[in-house]
Amino acid sequence: MPKPAKPAKRAPKSAGTPLGSEESYRQMVDSVKDYAIIMLDPSGRVASWNQGAERIKGYRASEIIGKDFSCFYTADAVARGLPERELELAAKEGRFEDEGWRVRKDGSQFWANAIISALRDVNGALRGYSKVTRDLTERKQAEERIQQQSKEIMELSTPVMQVWQGVVAAPLIGTLDSQRTQQFMERLLTRVVETNSPVALVDIMGVPTIDTQTAQHLIETISAVRLLGAQVVLTGVRPAIAQTLVHLGIDLSDIITRSSLAAGIQVALDILNLQVVGKNAGR
Amino acid sequence: MIQTQQGEFHIGSESDIVLARKLVRDFATELGFSLTDVTRIVTAASELTRNIYHYAGSGLMRWRPLSEGGHAGLELIFEDQGPGIPDVDKALEAGFSTGKGLGLGLPGSKRLMDEMTIESHLGQGTVVGVRKWLK
Amino acid sequence: MSAESISVIKVGDLLLVTVPSDPDDETVSALQEQVLQAMARHQVKGLVLDISTVQTLDSFFARTIAESVQMVALMGGRTVLSGMRASVAITATQLGLTLGRAETALDVDRAIERLGAAPAQGQSR
Repeated sequence: MPKPAKPAKRAPKSAGTPLGSEESYRQMVDSVKDYAIIMLDPSGRVASWNQGAERIKGYRASEIIGKDFSCFYTADAVARGLPERELELAAKEGRFEDEGWRVRKDGSQFWANAIISALRDVNGALRGYSKVTRDLTERKQAEERIQQQSKEIMELSTPVMQVWQGVVAAPLIGTLDSQRTQQFMERLLTRVVETNSPVALVDIMGVPTIDTQTAQHLIETISAVRLLGAQVVLTGVRPAIAQTLVHLGIDLSDIITRSSLAAGIQVALDILNLQVVGKNAGR
Repeated sequence: MIQTQQGEFHIGSESDIVLARKLVRDFATELGFSLTDVTRIVTAASELTRNIYHYAGSGLMRWRPLSEGGHAGLELIFEDQGPGIPDVDKALEAGFSTGKGLGLGLPGSKRLMDEMTIESHLGQGTVVGVRKWLK
Repeated sequence: MSAESISVIKVGDLLLVTVPSDPDDETVSALQEQVLQAMARHQVKGLVLDISTVQTLDSFFARTIAESVQMVALMGGRTVLSGMRASVAITATQLGLTLGRAETALDVDRAIERLGAAPAQGQSR
């Protein structure tokens, strides 16, 4: 734990400091270690610093007071004018909250949640800003780990199988958001190309409800498979799903659908047989 | 050509479009993007480079790697001193429903990339920035 | 990349065009020109456009393909696009390209089979 630095111009602690006085308030703010509580002058220069700020951002009070607060932002954020914009918004709305990457004294980055509040005097003139910052890096990393893990679980649970020469099948479980769609399309299309399969069965029995987003993503997947030169047969279409799709106005008129995977496989074989017949007929 | 550092390329002729694609392909591949993501990035670069050539005659494409909070990515900037885009919002909607490939350059690139910024002033020029992050 | 690097071969009563991996705009436009001339010269009933080595399919290329398909149709022929890569198909879909009503096939063999079969066979219920 770094030794707390004494901020400049601090009155000596006396046994008789009354609670609620400005002095005891300053002592309290200074002693908070989990939050960086600092003050900025109207142009964004650091005017006060607390122990939490030293702990989170790495600077001692003596080396940061007077410096512009944009030094806490990434080079990128500075280039985009983010620090100025945050002050502007705080001045306009009274307060501004933001989360983002911030930079410590040693150059390392941390994920911060910060609230900037405009401080005004009795006449409404801007006297400066207060900024309360929390280091949420651990929480963010935990969130990302969970996302990564659930992504991996989803990949394991929805393989694309080859069920016959020329037919692949992919069961869909749950709903399709943007990211899942990308993964699904990637796996399905790669498999179609690898196995040279003209028919892909996409089974949606495991899709509980279908909203516009999932429906659009499904259409997108089907379009992509078509571009390859293969056909999609949508199976496991339950009555409720069929109803929803119709109500959503989704046009499935040129997509083959069946209520069960088994029926879908039959259709797939018929399609493949027709291709064989067609080939023989041409001779 | 290995380009893991930043660089820039001047666009002045139609054949520069395919050169821009090659430069971006090498860069994105070096950074470790998946084949499909490389394809997306190169396609967006092709669209935006062609926009520069067709609307402004000449311009600049710049690229650089990104690093933020433990995530890596790339940024491409397309700059020209052309006529500018009169209505950016409209330009981003245009061509979406025709599907014929007309006017899809800008909105299409936005869909292919993770982030896009556009700054355009009539009579002065346009700057389009796009970014993609490694997943 | 010069226009000569696009090969147009007559296979029976079809044309087989192999597109290079990253053609420039000039080559793509020349392709359209070459195809139409070959169609007129050879009385063929269809065209197989092999894009199995193509790495990037942007809106310009897609537009040229869609136009070519229309022109070939006007001249009484069918076009089948063969061998699109997975990464290209995914990107093209995300970009919003549908290539009109161009027929597609997994590879050249299947494309040729498809053109040999009677037209409008494709999707049967």
